[in-house]
Amino acid sequence: MRNIAEIYKREIRFYFATPIAYVVIIIFTIIFGFFFYRSLVYYSELSYQLMQNAYYAQRIDLIMGVFSPVFSNNAIIFLMVIPPISMRLIAEEKKSGTIELLFTFPIKDIHIVLGKWLAASTIIVLMLVLTLPAPFMAFKFAGAAEWGPVLAGYLGMLLMGLSFLSLGILISALSENQIVSIIVSYGVLLAFWFLGWIIDPGSGKTIGKVLGELSIIGHLSNFVKGMIDTKDIIYFVLFIFMSLFLTLRVLESKRWRG
Amino acid sequence: MIKIEKVTKLYGQTVAVRDISFEVAEGEILGFLGPNGAGKTTTMRVITGYFPPTDGNVFVAGHSVLDEPLEVKRQIGYVPENPAMYHDMRTIDYLKFIGAVKGVTRTSLKERLNKTIELCALKSVVNKRVGELSRGFKQRVALGQALINDPPVLILDEPTSGLDPKQIFEIRQLIKSMAGERTIVLSTHILPEVSMTCSKVVIINEGEIVAVDTTENLGKSFVRTHQVELVVKGPSKEIKNNLKKIDGIGKVDNVGERYTVEMEKDKDLRSKIAKQVVQNGFELLELKSRSMSLEDVFIKLVTEEEEGDRA
Repeated sequence: MRNIAEIYKREIRFYFATPIAYVVIIIFTIIFGFFFYRSLVYYSELSYQLMQNAYYAQRIDLIMGVFSPVFSNNAIIFLMVIPPISMRLIAEEKKSGTIELLFTFPIKDIHIVLGKWLAASTIIVLMLVLTLPAPFMAFKFAGAAEWGPVLAGYLGMLLMGLSFLSLGILISALSENQIVSIIVSYGVLLAFWFLGWIIDPGSGKTIGKVLGELSIIGHLSNFVKGMIDTKDIIYFVLFIFMSLFLTLRVLESKRWRG
Repeated sequence: MIKIEKVTKLYGQTVAVRDISFEVAEGEILGFLGPNGAGKTTTMRVITGYFPPTDGNVFVAGHSVLDEPLEVKRQIGYVPENPAMYHDMRTIDYLKFIGAVKGVTRTSLKERLNKTIELCALKSVVNKRVGELSRGFKQRVALGQALINDPPVLILDEPTSGLDPKQIFEIRQLIKSMAGERTIVLSTHILPEVSMTCSKVVIINEGEIVAVDTTENLGKSFVRTHQVELVVKGPSKEIKNNLKKIDGIGKVDNVGERYTVEMEKDKDLRSKIAKQVVQNGFELLELKSRSMSLEDVFIKLVTEEEEGDRA
């Protein structure tokens, strides 16, 4: 445990001693804030008009009107800002040769990977925490709103962020070059995104259904609507687990091959 | 303390080292000698557990590197060639981090830090970033990193490469000062370094061990022919002929006024050479015996073996 904690502390120190953490967090919150502001303004204008009609007035929904689109957009921001966090995690150690030190220390590979993963996860959690003023502000205006669906959205965001991160670490372990690492991360993440669009899952073909289930974005849609489905949670947890597992295998095979 | 048993390491189809076996006794300083690409680093990486051998095994303090890698790694402090380090960290933080990762307990970490800083003379740079340090200090930080958990075994991969003569001297003194306390394996391609610091030598070439011996024996058996360097003014042909007349002289070569004269083993002919040159009316400007470089030893060793094969 102490090994993981030490690796974790070093990575956190690195993120905040260099501009990486600040740049990523600032860019993320600005874009998030902009999307939230646009949604809220649009929604309030819309709801003002809908209020004229008693039938529509009942159907005004803060979750579907504001948070669902904001969270969906957020997936794209995550796709942009998480690879810059993950790209260096292992690639940099390989490039500078410090991996040779870590490999000769009395610690296990899994401790190295977990320490790094937790440190980068902390940045993601921090980014999400910094967006919390948004729902608080929205709820000030809409007294009847519920927290539950918003928190479900946040859980979805977190799981998706951690999935992106885990895949990013795997790609970082495969490369020695950080630029290659980040570009491949973008490519693979986008591929996972579009997987569901290749064949329409509603077309009745099995392959379409399978691809749809493998696609990342499909598993986010329930969360952003405020629904927590065990299937989606399992998907993300497995995604994270598989990525980290493969990362360990990559490190091990690197060793055997020398 | 360290036992290397028939270690073979392949990179794909390429053989890096083949069937290497030797032992290092406790407290011994072993010099691991060979030209670049001979397999020194590969062997050291196998010992440190950086990667497993393709075949064979290594035991450190009785622990197998294959079965108990963590236990082996706990015994070893390793300084890689061109030491890589986290350049963004201050020396003190770097050593603290390494100590903690290596499992030095919180209570003893402070004491270990102080001892390491003192031993490696790092006091003046504790608050500087590692990346800003000079090559010599970096090497000392790398040594500090290896020593922080007080390991009984030190593996040093070319600890003096890239340093200036004063730094080389300091690092050698430091290594020598640890003789007896720790078992040390150091690799180098500089022959005098071995004779200065090590008690035992393993010579490796093209992935195979060529010789294992004590430093003294190595000197005796390899320096078959003493070489003397002369600087003499005068016609070179005559000088060469004159030199060859001396009993026990082997080959005589010259580049301009600089002559290299080979003498038979166990014969010190320097005074005879001097006399011969001066008595024949040539101006002797310089005379010194030349120690053999590793390259010479290798050429000697390899060619002799080939001749032996033919016979």
